[in-house]
Amino acid sequence: MVEVRTGDFVVPGDFLATTEEFVPGEGAYEEGGKIYASSTGVVLVDARMKRISVFSRVLGPPTLKRDDVVVGRVDEVRDQSANVYIGVLRGREDRELPLPNLGMIHISQTHTGYVKDLAKQFKPGDIVRARVLNARREPVQLTTAGDELGVIVAACSRCRALLEREGTKLRCPNCGNVEFRKLANDYRQGVL
Amino acid sequence: MEKPEKLIVDGKRLDGRAPDELRPLKIEAGVLKRADGSAYVELGANKVLAAVYGPREMHPRHEQQPDIAVLRCRYAMAPFSVEERKRPGPDRRSVEISKVTREAIEPVLFLELYPRSVIDVFIEVLQADAGTRTAGINAAAVALADAGVPMRDLVSAVAVGKVDGTIVLDLTKEEDQWGTTDMPVAIVPRKKMITLLQMDGHFTGAEFKQALDLAFNACERIYEAQRQALRERYAIKQGG
Repeated sequence: MVEVRTGDFVVPGDFLATTEEFVPGEGAYEEGGKIYASSTGVVLVDARMKRISVFSRVLGPPTLKRDDVVVGRVDEVRDQSANVYIGVLRGREDRELPLPNLGMIHISQTHTGYVKDLAKQFKPGDIVRARVLNARREPVQLTTAGDELGVIVAACSRCRALLEREGTKLRCPNCGNVEFRKLANDYRQGVL
Repeated sequence: MEKPEKLIVDGKRLDGRAPDELRPLKIEAGVLKRADGSAYVELGANKVLAAVYGPREMHPRHEQQPDIAVLRCRYAMAPFSVEERKRPGPDRRSVEISKVTREAIEPVLFLELYPRSVIDVFIEVLQADAGTRTAGINAAAVALADAGVPMRDLVSAVAVGKVDGTIVLDLTKEEDQWGTTDMPVAIVPRKKMITLLQMDGHFTGAEFKQALDLAFNACERIYEAQRQALRERYAIKQGG
């Protein structure tokens, strides 16, 4: 059998090595004492760690990891936390997220400063941009602390018209209602 | 079309092929921009397009599986794919083919990696000339790899049959219509595992063995073409 080397191109099902020599890394799997590729890409042989993996050339389903920026919709606001339905991962807007796609922003992670009332930071229906703190938990832990993070689109809670920014406040052009949110610095500028 | 007197003349078939010869095969990966993964397959006059979406959240929610992903396949023929206009929409035949296609592909996927999700596979037959379910499976396997869905292996499929008393590979519409037997076979090439085997007509035990051997050999060739399609799409081009 020909030995597989770093840089070789493989497709799913290609033989990589035996389990006596290596452990399967990303893009590889073990079956019956042998390691095969499970994705299309380039082989990476780590001789020191005895790990053989496939660096995928295909952009597979997006996976969330720490420090990824996501855009989602606030579903529910509670005393201590807000639940967010995560729509897309920034950089992979072309593709839907596999589950888990539910996130949570704890009151302590909404702002750089102290927050007394979470209902003045988010309301159900808001579109928020957030950063992933911990993707291993379910729901995924998110934060909106930072200038570029926070609500990017919000609707009036009385009449559902889109709110317009006035300094740090939001005003409804329809009914004149004034509301407060944790705003991103590019609120309603059409950027995800 | 009238039934020809003989379907095999001097060991050659109507289209001039030998009994163990495949029709010209063309496979292309990543042809659709909006789908997560896609592939286009031409097998003789067959033209089949496959698109893959997901893994993504499954709707309706009550069909979610708490521990694994669900694979949904839809095989559909375009109204213009056959001689008489085909009434669009699911029918008995396409529902059955969707089911056997799903079962042919399922064993190579790591469905346990994506609980509560769904992987959608859409197979559209643009032009049909017998053997569309096998062409559809070949396209779907490449489309799944193009979508980056983790897979154990690809799936290759081909039809074998009996025409004028001869075992032939990859039947055309005429051979399917007037032949005695048609047997589509799908295999997982590395493990030599059969994931689809249907038969219309009859074989003797010996004929069945011979036909299956023929199918396995052809699947190896199709497998190579599928790998080549992925290589062309994704391998780093030398000096380019």
